[in-house]
Amino acid sequence: MDQEFTLTSELRDNRLVIATNGYVNNVGGEAIAAEFDKHFENGVKEVVINLAGSKVVNSIGMSFLLEILEKLQDSDGKLIFTNLDPAVDKMLTIMGIFNLAGKAGDVDEAMNSF
Amino acid sequence: MKSQADPDNSFTDRISSRIEHLQEGFRKLSRSAGVADIAKRFAETARETLPGAAIDIVHRAGSSGEWTPLVESGSVPVAVLKNIAGEKFTVPCTIRQEKGVLLIVQRLADKSHLGLILVPPKGGPAFSEADVMSLRLLVQYLDNAYQDLVFRKNEKGLVFSLNHRILQLNSLIETGIEVAKLDHNESPHHLAIVRAASLTNAARGVVTVSSGKDIVEEFTFPVGTVVDRTSRDMNSIVASFSFLNNTYSFELFDKESRAGVTPFEETDHLLLDALAKQVHASLENRYLHEQALEKQRIEQEMSVAASIQQKILPVGLPEIPGYDLFGTNIPSKSVGGDYYNCVPLHDGRFAIIIADVAGKGVPAALLVSSLHAYLSAYLEGSFAMTRLAARLNKVLYNDSTADKFVTAFFTILTPETGELECLSAGHNPSYLLRNDNSIVELHTGGLPLGTIDMDLPYKSERVTLEKGEKLFLYTDGVTEAENEDHVLYEQDYPVTDFLKTHVAESSEGFIGDLIADIRKFTKSAPQNDDITAIFLRRL
Repeated sequence: MDQEFTLTSELRDNRLVIATNGYVNNVGGEAIAAEFDKHFENGVKEVVINLAGSKVVNSIGMSFLLEILEKLQDSDGKLIFTNLDPAVDKMLTIMGIFNLAGKAGDVDEAMNSF
Repeated sequence: MKSQADPDNSFTDRISSRIEHLQEGFRKLSRSAGVADIAKRFAETARETLPGAAIDIVHRAGSSGEWTPLVESGSVPVAVLKNIAGEKFTVPCTIRQEKGVLLIVQRLADKSHLGLILVPPKGGPAFSEADVMSLRLLVQYLDNAYQDLVFRKNEKGLVFSLNHRILQLNSLIETGIEVAKLDHNESPHHLAIVRAASLTNAARGVVTVSSGKDIVEEFTFPVGTVVDRTSRDMNSIVASFSFLNNTYSFELFDKESRAGVTPFEETDHLLLDALAKQVHASLENRYLHEQALEKQRIEQEMSVAASIQQKILPVGLPEIPGYDLFGTNIPSKSVGGDYYNCVPLHDGRFAIIIADVAGKGVPAALLVSSLHAYLSAYLEGSFAMTRLAARLNKVLYNDSTADKFVTAFFTILTPETGELECLSAGHNPSYLLRNDNSIVELHTGGLPLGTIDMDLPYKSERVTLEKGEKLFLYTDGVTEAENEDHVLYEQDYPVTDFLKTHVAESSEGFIGDLIADIRKFTKSAPQNDDITAIFLRRL
């Protein structure tokens, strides 16, 4: 079950890959958004968020993800979620996230989807 | 600002020439993502409209209060900003020029205010009427764009909120299904607290299972969260229920919002309560299911044991020339604790046995099975009856638990002489009905079999069954049969009286009549013990 939130990130071919671990809530969402902003300001417009380590997301966490999505939409960028737990997948689907974002089984699959 | 290149252009022409430019500005403003963004875009458009002008833009949440700078040129005199710092603006749009500096304060759709301070190019002319008109138009566009932005934001918020409600309902239903389907090794209360925290935006959750004052289990989400019970404030909600002497308490802490911690709402209470109820229902169903499985398992075991016991008890007793022998066993459950048999011995004698194991069901049947096995083995040999009883006592003591023992009555019949050697191992007395209608009570023997392993001796007694005389052996299911008023059959009609007064043509007839009399006495009261009886009549 989800621990306190942590994340790691890396740039692959100028694409940002963020891997999260723990509850994506206010703290988690803010951390993801801050990491994204850091790279977005430097022109990174393709982002992968690997949620393998996050089995629980709340709507505050989701609002941060939506903000990232909107920023990417406005700048013709793209966001792909990967490694989704079925419950998180359903949650993001109901919240309409996948109307704007893509999803892939894992990071490699996502990297080939841009 | 007057254009140097075309000084003859009329006021209207200058306005018209800017319209297309302003429309492009509106399109730009319409794509804004927030107040800072809209200010930045406005500044860009204004600079294109009024080349060389310096522009500062400030914002404040209400009609008064602190101004927050959004766009800073560095050219606006500090005095201007100081002048408007405490000023309250009550009209939708204020436009004024002071010492060449143009100040516009626009009230926005969310009641916040945007202040625009423009300074003409250094050494250039003051802002013209056309410049002011253009700016006024542009500010109107800004206001419209901001209204649109607020509307879109509200619309997004509404869609998000509706989706979240759908998510909550969906999750409530799904969680109900999931907790019902969970493997018995998984805990439905763990799943429920995680879902509850997620759906109510709680920062933390804890489920505590307690028995009285003792905490049996505590599960926190996120895992590893420390619950400081001494510093709990009002920003928590709780739902609880009791089940099987345990209290399950679900607590959520610190409802999150983008602005920080916020109080829980009524719907959060309802959700937590609903999830707790689902766990309660799941635990109850799981318990009832386990009970049903246990009952089914016991019934299966009983069925197997009953079929084994059916093979142990004799289908019919052997025929003994010159005698009429009949026995019966009516178990009170599918597996009983009574036993009877008649075994021909190698020397022409017959061993007649009746026994009653303390208790009923499978454990009693297992002891009956042991008794049968040992008897079959020992009767092959030529043990004296007292030694046989002592051996049986020892082996059954080793085979049984402390609360299990066997009472038994053994008799060995020598058919030619009618001699009976009898031994009662703690069993109720057997009766010999003499031809003169007197009754001899046979009770010599010793302790029940399997009670104590101290080599205590058993004794036997010898009597002779003359022609026409009868021997009656029974278990306490006969004498202790109860009617609906809990009166015992023996209290109402002693079995010795029945023996003395009842005349039957055969041993089978006698036993049948006795059973019928017991049934008549007990009526609809359930049979509470096995009924076993043997009747031997010398012809």
